[in-house]
Amino acid sequence: MAIVEPTHHLSPRLASMKMFSHASGYKTVYADLNVTPLVDMFVILVLFLVANFSATGEILSMSNDVQLPVAANTQELIPAPVIVISKQEVLVSGFLLGRIDDLTRDAYLNIPTLEEKLREMRMQYENLHAAANDLSAFKGNVNIQGDKNAKFSILKRVMFSCAAAGYSTISFATLAGEKEPTTDG
Amino acid sequence: MAGGMDLGGGGGGGKKPLDSAINLVPFIDLMAVTIAFLVMSAVWTQVGALQVSQSGQAASQDQAQPTEQLKPVAILLREASMTISFGGQPFDPIQITRDEKQKMDVTLLAARLKEVKSQEPTQTALTVTAEDSVRYDDLVRVIDTCTGNGFGAIAVSPASG
Repeated sequence: MAIVEPTHHLSPRLASMKMFSHASGYKTVYADLNVTPLVDMFVILVLFLVANFSATGEILSMSNDVQLPVAANTQELIPAPVIVISKQEVLVSGFLLGRIDDLTRDAYLNIPTLEEKLREMRMQYENLHAAANDLSAFKGNVNIQGDKNAKFSILKRVMFSCAAAGYSTISFATLAGEKEPTTDG
Repeated sequence: MAGGMDLGGGGGGGKKPLDSAINLVPFIDLMAVTIAFLVMSAVWTQVGALQVSQSGQAASQDQAQPTEQLKPVAILLREASMTISFGGQPFDPIQITRDEKQKMDVTLLAARLKEVKSQEPTQTALTVTAEDSVRYDDLVRVIDTCTGNGFGAIAVSPASG
């Protein structure tokens, strides 16, 4: 029996497929990708992100050193100078004022460096708005980003210094929490 | 991907098919850019603010009202107890109890504030006087409870001064 060399040929099942058939000559390789689910997903994502979009941006920079307390009946945070009372230090707009132990050691109710810094910031703000003929722009808003374990002894000094520098509307930054169930049902 | 619109088979005469595909590529591009922008600018932590004033100052101009006729409401907050006074008359002190997460229980405070509010419904001003050892978390919780019970103009003052 003669030896038959195996040749490259397809099985009958594959040969019957359109892809492997050479009967019709030229075949286009154009394949259309179905993008409808992709567009659906994009639309839902955009809607979700736009609904969560905050035009004011990030006023506070979160850090592990400051654990904010939780409150339910809050208002929106206004862009204003931020005083950070961390576990150990007090900062105003990123400028370190000192350690809490040092700042609460004296019997004085104010923190002179904080008051000075706030006055400086107020002057800058007013000068900037005076250049634009907007003299009633200063509202005296200030945000306090305090750690929840901070004591009132430092808070009262910070608040007093804010009031002394003309920042009378003080906002305590809090994390949004659930409303308490009411007692009367 | 091809950018042109596929308007069916070309030439050959006869009737042209009416179905046409909208080119979605620019739309996908726009969506991708918008999503990238929104994800980068998103603020994921929901932060709110409780507005207070130093004692002796009006909370804000629009909330200033003639409080002379109204009985003043004040809370003296200590580390372990608090006392509400209404028109200068103090109620019984409330002992502060906490849960396992050190969260203060404010049920009794809310009930007292409701009682006060029912007697003086137009009063929105309240002064919280706190001692030095009071935790910021407790103070915020008390202010939050007061705000939730209709006292919007809250002033904070130190106990010693």
